[in-house]
Amino acid sequence: MTASVTLEPPKWLWLHAEDNVAMALSDFTKGSSIDVEGINVVFHDDVEYGHKFALREIPTGEPVIKFAETIGVAKREIRVGEHVHVHNVQSLRARKQ
Amino acid sequence: MRDYAAYRVDGRPGIRNHVVVLSLNSFCNRAVELIAETVRGTVPLVHPFGRNEIGVYRERLERSLEGVVLNPNVHSVLVVGYEPQSTEEFVETVRKATAKRVESVLVLEGGTMNAIRVGAEKALWMVIAASEARRETTGFEGFVFGVKCGGSDATSGVASNAATGEAVDRIIEMGGTAIFSETTEILGAEHILARRAVNENVVQKIYRAVEANEKMAMDAGIDLLGVNPVPDNIRGGITTIEEKSLGAILKAGTHPIQDVLGYGEHPKKPGLYFMDSPSAASEVVTGLSSCGAQMILFSTGTCNPVGNPISPVLKVTSNPRTVARMREHLDLDISAVLTSGMSARDAGDRIIDAIVAIANGKLTTAEVVGHMEFAPIPVGL
Repeated sequence: MTASVTLEPPKWLWLHAEDNVAMALSDFTKGSSIDVEGINVVFHDDVEYGHKFALREIPTGEPVIKFAETIGVAKREIRVGEHVHVHNVQSLRARKQ
Repeated sequence: MRDYAAYRVDGRPGIRNHVVVLSLNSFCNRAVELIAETVRGTVPLVHPFGRNEIGVYRERLERSLEGVVLNPNVHSVLVVGYEPQSTEEFVETVRKATAKRVESVLVLEGGTMNAIRVGAEKALWMVIAASEARRETTGFEGFVFGVKCGGSDATSGVASNAATGEAVDRIIEMGGTAIFSETTEILGAEHILARRAVNENVVQKIYRAVEANEKMAMDAGIDLLGVNPVPDNIRGGITTIEEKSLGAILKAGTHPIQDVLGYGEHPKKPGLYFMDSPSAASEVVTGLSSCGAQMILFSTGTCNPVGNPISPVLKVTSNPRTVARMREHLDLDISAVLTSGMSARDAGDRIIDAIVAIANGKLTTAEVVGHMEFAPIPVGL
């Protein structure tokens, strides 16, 4: 688990190296940018505290990974810096047929 | 090792010393409420059930009402039943399982007002007897610790549930028992829990519970999104049930899972257990209390005011914004895990300190605000 290391409270949390999303510990605005362990993240959307943003490109149908496990699949292509949430992720469990 | 001072009415350590007035049936609620208003120091338990339930709902109701009587935090019980046969059966069943004082009154013999007169006098002497009980120093053997996460947001899964897991591990290492629950909230994480089951039978029980739960959702023709995760989970950053579950199971620590319990079923030996139940807060907390939990830890993100009339509910959050917004419903702030690098292990120590203080009699916010939700039949997901 890594988090931004400064004297300020951390602004993001990246739990596992295989995770393709990180968690915001701050409110990020569209157009702002941060460095996450060498990945330059330019926010495509506003991302609120606790919400996820993509650290890698996630093609349509590919797994979204957090806790080093699959938490769902991309409903459409997700770019680095996009807000990752119910609008672009689909659960694989107990879905309406 | 840590110790605390407990009552011992019936062998096991009790951290509260309640005299309960228990309704067996919705028609008895009025008598229960008025007995409890008349006799100071009694706890009324009312609910809208007790007639015509069948199958799993009947089993859950019976186990939860019997479980309340057996909970070590209960000194004695006045049962208010409607008619003689079902009331006598209930009293006989619980008397076989406990030596504590259990008496009853009937509403169908003389009516509600008569049940109040007769019941209030019985309750009076129970309260006097309970007031003579004294606490004695004890350890965590015989202590049953319920854990539930609720009002979850993305901070729950990465911080407060992990710290809860640390506390659960330590309770078990001190000879205690811990029970977690919420079958919907292991969907997507059941493979991780199954690896921790003590034997193949328990592995199968975990998978069967999940299959039955998922089938219920599919048969209802719904998408879980919006039902579980609920809207406040989604607003808090949780996207899918898998994400919620992977965060939720961290509260169960790392020890082997001894068995899968039914709703309100008492574990037979120490260790970690899973209770198969739907996930709503009041219902799960009631079920854990009926499983014999003297205390329930509620790990929360966005917060939830839920309490319980029998078992104190310790509320913990790691979300600094929730601490600012909902302080009156919280008992422990471990937001330093996210703001200043406190380790989950240190946060676990803080939780153990809070458990010891509450076990010794310190009141929780839910007890003082008066949250006493009693919901003995869980339905839904």
